[in-house]
Amino acid sequence: MDNLESIAVRVEDGLDESLRTDNVWPLLRQIEQALQSLQESGSETVIDLGAMPFSAQDEQDLRERLGRGEVNATVEAFGPTLVQETAFAGVWLVEYLDAEQRRLTLHLQIARIPDLLITPADDLADSLASLRRANRDFSAAPTEDVQ
Amino acid sequence: MSLLDFARGTALQWSLYIFVVGIIWRILGAALVMRRKDMSQARISGAERVKEGAMTILTRSVPPETFEKRIRFSHITGYLWHIGYFVVVLFFIPHILFIKSFLGFEWPGLPNPMILVIGAITLATLVALLVRRMTHPVLKLISTADDYISWLVAALPLITGYMVVARVGLHYETLLGLHVLSFCLLLIWFPFGKLMHVFFIFPSRYNVGAIFARRGVRV
Amino acid sequence: MTDNKTLAERLRERGVSRRGFMKFCAATASMMALPPLMIPRIAAALEQARRPSVIWLSFQECTGCTESLTRSHAPTIEGLIFDHISLDYHHTLQAAAGDAAEHAREAAMQENEGEYLLVVDGSIPLKDDGIYSTIAGITNLSMLEDVAAGAAAIISVGTCAAFGGIPHANPNPTGAVGVSEIITDKPIVNVPGCPPIPTVITGVLAHYLTFGRLPELDSLNRPMVFFGQTIHDRCYRRPFYERGQFADTFDDEGARKGWCLFKLGCKGPTTYNACATAKWNDSVSFPIQAGHGCIGCSEPNFWDKGAFYEPLSAGRWGTPAALGAAVVAGAAIGLGSAALARKRQAEASEEKDI
Repeated sequence: MDNLESIAVRVEDGLDESLRTDNVWPLLRQIEQALQSLQESGSETVIDLGAMPFSAQDEQDLRERLGRGEVNATVEAFGPTLVQETAFAGVWLVEYLDAEQRRLTLHLQIARIPDLLITPADDLADSLASLRRANRDFSAAPTEDVQ
Repeated sequence: MSLLDFARGTALQWSLYIFVVGIIWRILGAALVMRRKDMSQARISGAERVKEGAMTILTRSVPPETFEKRIRFSHITGYLWHIGYFVVVLFFIPHILFIKSFLGFEWPGLPNPMILVIGAITLATLVALLVRRMTHPVLKLISTADDYISWLVAALPLITGYMVVARVGLHYETLLGLHVLSFCLLLIWFPFGKLMHVFFIFPSRYNVGAIFARRGVRV
Repeated sequence: MTDNKTLAERLRERGVSRRGFMKFCAATASMMALPPLMIPRIAAALEQARRPSVIWLSFQECTGCTESLTRSHAPTIEGLIFDHISLDYHHTLQAAAGDAAEHAREAAMQENEGEYLLVVDGSIPLKDDGIYSTIAGITNLSMLEDVAAGAAAIISVGTCAAFGGIPHANPNPTGAVGVSEIITDKPIVNVPGCPPIPTVITGVLAHYLTFGRLPELDSLNRPMVFFGQTIHDRCYRRPFYERGQFADTFDDEGARKGWCLFKLGCKGPTTYNACATAKWNDSVSFPIQAGHGCIGCSEPNFWDKGAFYEPLSAGRWGTPAALGAAVVAGAAIGLGSAALARKRQAEASEEKDI
C-alpha cells in the first residue's frame, strides 16, 4: 500500500477540523463578561472546560485567540499544574495534570491571580515554625561547618 | 415497553392497517358506485373528453380571474401550507429515514434550520386558516366537525414535531413517541375524514371536466 | 478494618500539600461535574470525610464494570478515592477466598450495621427461586436481601444491576432483574452503562464521601450530573446533524470526514450518559469519536430496542403479509359496500320508474 490515505481508517491525532464544536465563541463572550465583573466588583470566575464539549481543536482555537501573557508558572503538588497568563491580563489558563502528565481538568480563571499561586494560610504557620527550626539549627551549628 | 417503542411498533402497524383498509374501501366504494347513464348526445369525441378532463385538473389549480381578488387569501395560504407541509414531511432527514424504513430507498434532505423555518411558516399559516374558519361568517356556517378534526389531526404532527425539537418539558424519547403517535392518528383518521381529498381531488376534477365537456361546456 | 482518618489526613500522610489537596478538590469537582464554585465546599467536606466501608456484590455479570473501574492507572483521582474507601468484600479484588471471604463480608456487615455502602454489579435471577446464580451456596437474591438490609445506600453499577441488562434481554431465561426490582426500602442510585464510565462510578463515590449522601437523581435513579443530558446533546458531531451531513456507510466520504452517525443507527438522541464529555480511557475518546454510533448501553432494555444499525427514526411497519391482509380486507369491505350501494341505487331508480 502506497500511503496511509488509501486506508479507509483515519488516525486520530486529537487535532482535527471536524472535531470543532461551536463552543469557543460563546466562551469568549462569557470571558468578556467575567472580566468586566472582575474589573467592576472584583468578583472572580472559574470556568471548567472539562465539563463542556470542548475538543482539542477547540482548545487550540481558544489558545490562539487568547494568546500568551507575561506570567508562566508551574505548581508541583500532586503532579504538575501549569498556570499561564493569557495575552488578556486577568485571564488565566490553569491546567491540572496528574503525576503521569495526564490532564485532570482545565480551568479558565478570571482573577487578578489564580488562588493556586497564593500561599495557603494554613501553610504559613507550618512554614514559620519550620523556618524557625531551620534558623535555630543554623545558629546552633558548630562554626567549623560554616568555614 | 416504552412509549416510543409502542408508538413506532404496535401503534404504527395497526394504524397503517386501518389506513390501508380504509383507503381501499373508500376508493373502491367511490369507483364502483352506479352512475346514471348520460342520455344527452355527446358534443365531442371520447378522446377530446379525456383531454378536457385532464385540462380541468390543471385549470382548477389556479383561481379563475373573476374570483381572483376575493379568494386570494385562501388561495395563497392554501398553497403555502400544503407545500410547506410536504417539504417538512419529505425533506427532514429523520423523516426520510422513517419513510426509507417502509419504502426501502431514500433521497437527499434539507438542513434542519431550513426545515424549522418552513415548518414554522406552515404552522403559522394553518393557525391563520383556523382563525379565519372560526371567524368568517360563511366559513363558520359551512364548517363541520370533520373540518376541525381534520385540521387538528393535520396540525398535531407539526406541533408535536416542534415539541421534539424544542424539547418542551418532557424527555426527548417521550416527545418523539407522542410525535409518532400523532402521525398514527393522522393515518387512522385519513380515510374517514376530509383528508381523503388527497386521493379524490384530481379524479373528481377530471370527472367534472369530462362530464361538462361531453355536454359542450368548458370549465 | 475501618480507621478514622479523614481523607485530608490521608492525603497529607502521602505528602500531598495544601495546594495538592485543593487541586485534588478541583479535579474531584470536575469529575462530579460540579461547578468550580463548589470547590471550597468540597474541600471543607473532604477534610471531615471518614473512610466508609463498602461491600461490593457481583451477581450475573461479566466483571466488565470492575474492569472499567480498575483500568485507570494509579495515582489518579479515581485511585485515591478508591483507596480511601474500605472495600471489605469484592470477589475479584479481595485476596481472601472461600469461607474467609464470606466471613469478611459478615464481619463488615456487623461492624458497620446501617452505615456501609453496598455496591452491586450484575443482575439477580428470580426464576426457580434464584438457583441460576449462587455464591458460596447462597442465591444472589438472598445475599442481596441480606446485605441490603443493613446498608445505608446502594449503588447499582452497570446496566445489569440497574435495569437487568443483558441477562434480562429477551427471552430472559433466568428471570433476571435489576436491584431496584427487589429492594424498595433503601436509597438506590443507578450508574448504568455497559460498562459505566469509571469516572462516573468514582464520581458517585466521591459525592457520597464528600456530602455523605447520594447525588440528585433523575426518574430512573441516575445521577443528574452525569445522566442529565443525552449523548446527542453534548456530541461534538451535533453540528453535522443540524446541517444534514451524515455518514451513509462506515467507510464513505461522510464517515471519513467525521459526520453525524444518525443514519447508521446512532442512539445518541435517546441515550442519557456522560460519554461525550467524560469520555473513555483517560478522556482519550468515546464510541462516536471512534466512528461508531452510540448503542445506548446505559438505557433500560437497550438490547431489545431493535437493531444497533437501524436509524432511530425508522418505523417498525409490520410484515408484508399483514399489509397484504389489510389490502384484501379493504378490497372486501369496499366491494361489499359498493355492491350494497348499487343495490340500493337500483331499488331507488326502480321505484322512481314506477
